[in-house]
Amino acid sequence: MLKEITGRIFNIQKYSVHDGPGIRDVVFMKGCPLKCIWCSNPESQSSDLQIAYNITKCIGVNSCGHCIKACTFHALSVSEDKIVLDRRNCVNCNKCVDICCSKALHIFGKDMTIDEVFQKTQNQAGAWRSNGGITVSGGEPLLQADFVAALLKEYRNIGVHTAIETTGFVHWEKLKQVAQWCNLIHFDVKMLDAQKHRKYTGVDNIIILENLKKLSAGFPNVNIIVRTPVIPDINDQECDITEIAEYLKTLPNLYDYELLPYHGYGRSKYEQLEMAYELKGVASLEKSSIYDLNQCVREMLDLPRKTYAGHL
Amino acid sequence: MEELSCCKEILTEHEKRVEKGIGQLSPRPRINGFLTNFRDQVPRIDIQRAVLFTESMKQTEAYPMNIRKAKALQHIFNNIDIIIQDNELIVGTCGGAGRHAILFPELRGPWLEKALRGVQKGNAFRISDEDLQTVVEKVIPYWKGNSAHERYLAMLPSETKEFIYGDGDWGSAGLLQDNANINATLNWAGNYKKVINRGLLDIKREMEERLSQVPNNDYTKMAFLQAAIMVCDGLMDYAKRYATKAREMASIETDPKRKAELEVIAQNCEWVPAHPARNFWEAMQCQWFVQTAYKLEQPTVGVISLGRFDQYMYPTFIKDLKAGVIDEERALELMECMWFKIASYVPFNVTATNNYFEGYCHFEQTVLGGQTREGKDATNELTYLVLRSKKEFPLHYPDLSVRLHSGTPNSLLHAVVDLIKQGTGFPKLLNDEEIIPQAIFNGASIQDARDYSPCACTEVRMLDLDTYMAVGGNLNLPAALEMALNEGVVTIDGQKKKLMTPSIKSADIKTFDDLLKNFTEAWDLFIQHFYKRQAALEISNAACLAAPFMSMLNDACVEALTDIHQPINNHGISKDSGALSVIGFGTLVESLAAIKKLVFEDKRFTLDELKDALKANFEGYEPIRQMLLNAPQYGNNDDYADEVARQTDEIICEVMQRYRTPNGPQNFKHVPVTTHIAMGRRMGATPNGRKAGESLSEGISPSQGRDSEGPLATLLSIDKVKSRVYNNNFSRLLNIKLNPQVVAGEKGTHDLMAFIRSFVDLKLWHLQFNIINKETLIKAQKNPDKYRNLIVRVAGYSAYFTDLSPDLQNEIISRTEHQVV
Repeated sequence: MLKEITGRIFNIQKYSVHDGPGIRDVVFMKGCPLKCIWCSNPESQSSDLQIAYNITKCIGVNSCGHCIKACTFHALSVSEDKIVLDRRNCVNCNKCVDICCSKALHIFGKDMTIDEVFQKTQNQAGAWRSNGGITVSGGEPLLQADFVAALLKEYRNIGVHTAIETTGFVHWEKLKQVAQWCNLIHFDVKMLDAQKHRKYTGVDNIIILENLKKLSAGFPNVNIIVRTPVIPDINDQECDITEIAEYLKTLPNLYDYELLPYHGYGRSKYEQLEMAYELKGVASLEKSSIYDLNQCVREMLDLPRKTYAGHL
Repeated sequence: MEELSCCKEILTEHEKRVEKGIGQLSPRPRINGFLTNFRDQVPRIDIQRAVLFTESMKQTEAYPMNIRKAKALQHIFNNIDIIIQDNELIVGTCGGAGRHAILFPELRGPWLEKALRGVQKGNAFRISDEDLQTVVEKVIPYWKGNSAHERYLAMLPSETKEFIYGDGDWGSAGLLQDNANINATLNWAGNYKKVINRGLLDIKREMEERLSQVPNNDYTKMAFLQAAIMVCDGLMDYAKRYATKAREMASIETDPKRKAELEVIAQNCEWVPAHPARNFWEAMQCQWFVQTAYKLEQPTVGVISLGRFDQYMYPTFIKDLKAGVIDEERALELMECMWFKIASYVPFNVTATNNYFEGYCHFEQTVLGGQTREGKDATNELTYLVLRSKKEFPLHYPDLSVRLHSGTPNSLLHAVVDLIKQGTGFPKLLNDEEIIPQAIFNGASIQDARDYSPCACTEVRMLDLDTYMAVGGNLNLPAALEMALNEGVVTIDGQKKKLMTPSIKSADIKTFDDLLKNFTEAWDLFIQHFYKRQAALEISNAACLAAPFMSMLNDACVEALTDIHQPINNHGISKDSGALSVIGFGTLVESLAAIKKLVFEDKRFTLDELKDALKANFEGYEPIRQMLLNAPQYGNNDDYADEVARQTDEIICEVMQRYRTPNGPQNFKHVPVTTHIAMGRRMGATPNGRKAGESLSEGISPSQGRDSEGPLATLLSIDKVKSRVYNNNFSRLLNIKLNPQVVAGEKGTHDLMAFIRSFVDLKLWHLQFNIINKETLIKAQKNPDKYRNLIVRVAGYSAYFTDLSPDLQNEIISRTEHQVV
């Protein structure tokens, strides 16, 4: 049964205004084939449910310590009144998470049915009066294409604007399956240089670029917004961007092209998951220069000049 | 009291800059000139009104109260200083030049000396030794034993008096903050339209005609009309004194431009308020004279409001504009002259806490938009011009609100959002879609209901229909919960008091229903005391107060020929959007939801453990506090928490409608002013994880930082909270903080417009926005518990601000400025 499908979701964010037109709910799907070194949602990468520890929320073992007592697998130890999680011993029984009073220990990822997601979001219909809607992001939403397609279909059936944010690194069939229920697709093109792409994202960009071409040709009614995250010292040179723009010129259907300036706000989440953050020390980009660069390539692409929407 | 919270953070950075005179002030030089004089002025207490009023009252003891008041008002009009200040275009003052406050000894006269000596020690107001001596010798002695407040206190049953005041009769015991006789009546707006359109001569003629028709032996009705005629004469004489003064000044003025202005001022004052205003300037002058009369007559909470300014000023405005008599700049200049007059009058309240409102907060609410009596959208050119004035010159007076409805044009909403984005807190929004049905429930016709005027915070008035509202009080909801849990014992300032015995002993509270039963009983005690004091106030005020000017301009009073302070049967409506305000609703329902979930359902800890934790102010019980903070939270569109809130609303409403005063059943509201801060300061820890001394929740909002699902979820929760079983609870004050990121750019404008449309669609009462600024984020860094709801909004990214490391937080702080526009 379609209704029985579950999706693995790591967050539903209400009142999002930077992920499509109007006021939106963004459903973040867990699991991604890419491992971009600048990723701001590291919890999105693994498809597994992941225990995480937010040290700033923890009130300390001295005044609490329930988690230590709850863990029968010796996965937790104490260091300076805070806890240390040894993932090798952890069996994901979640006892420590359930007992944690401050939600310092928590799980990234929750399996939800379409009904559950729909219930959690659709009663915000009031906001959709003026062009708001639902955006499915990730991770890579197309890794869970059956779920996402079914979910977006529900929304389309009640006239709600639908969007996804994709890396494009999926089988064309999956993209096709979901695209038919989308009004808008945010499609990432990180860089054109294949070698560099492999180095910084862990995957090849050939499939991505092919998918973009097919999508553009096959779905003329879907608005396609290509996005490039601009990362200092990786793809922040004008030539990096104009190269992509040259490629985009060949597309039969392109709604918009946006540059997203790098920010390091994901760093805290790397720490919660004890993952290494390779871009440590790299400063966030000033959006004004990125904005100018964006206007310049938009002209190349014959796209209308954009009013400054205030993206960070 | 500090600043009033319904206009909290009203002094934004932009306004502070204006007050300090930094940068561009107003595009109009005349207005900037006023500001230079204004900004460093500590308001002066002007004693003229108190002295003149008392002089007259001493002479008139044999007369009915409304005649006495009319004579006193006339005495003031004929003797108060006539002052025209440099470059003023609108003239008239209640108490001399500059920023001033005036005194109303008839209310709390015997308490004045203490209050004024307190003033001399502080620096919020100033009064000379000589003036203070005059008040002590000539004013206060007459009122000892004669003041409204003494009569009220004498009537109060002793247990009610103790419940409200504890041992004294000055301060509050923290359970029911009593506003009795701080002001004479609840919030009101002036009926300016009547005088602007008809002129006082015509109104006086009507009163004379009515007088000729009153049967000879009905002295009460005759007194009403005689008083009305006297106040008409009084105000017309006052205007003539201004005309004479302006002529004198014009005759010796050497600057030809000012000379011409003074001559027009003289003409204006000769013509209005006696005759119908012929042009915009006259209408503005007339409005200000009427406003002055209201202010001199009696204090209303928040000071008399301006009402539907863009409606009653429109006919002369558009006529002059089309004829080229004025342009928009001139209209703005005239309006801003009036805004200055309004800013110059500062209410002085004889209250327990520091004896004054420190922030000089007063809200002469000016309302724009809404619907006509016929139900058409009422937006006009003047609507936009007033919004423009506020944008170009964000003086925080007068208060500004916009009435919205399903047919509000997008162009108005766009202008409104544009102003909201300035971050000044203006305008607040009031929703016709809830307010009009409520007015109809109260007994208004749909036409009258459509013509309502918001007053002060979020209250509304129908100017020809609503009659007297005794000033209400604020009830401490979380204190009732404490009593429910603790055998009727409540702790205020660390002092325990047993006030009642709930039917279930605390050891026997086994279910959530048990707890609700006890809460209902404790709440009943609060409500009984409220009704007792309200009845005492209605009766005692009727005996010592009268307002012939306000009554003359109210159709219901004129139909009944009865002063507005008297019970008016079969005419008018004597219940508005609520005299009783419930405080700490969010604190209460968060506490109840947490107890229901953690104690009764999940059994994470016992009720006794919870009580120990509360007693210890969570010292040594941090895990319990964390669980409470992480329980289902009201305000997040969470069905579990919202259902508890709805049940609570139903209980509050049900208990409220068990009783009545001589004027009838009362409505209640969620309008805290600053009481939630004051009450919180005196209360111990509460089961929502709030520590002792911290503020209670404000209005209908969840506690600070608890609404983590975004502002739409909060709107949806508030919609779900309304139990809709009874018709006595509507006015809910809601402040929403907005992250500048979500309103940035034209997209942000459209998103906020959509959000406001949702507010209108959901039929919620009131909405006001604060834009989060750098300072808010710095506070959040220091006090993360209170700012758990700040979401960092970047495309494709999700996290809360307080979850970020300090250096990332700093980065965001440094980027937050200048994001809005």
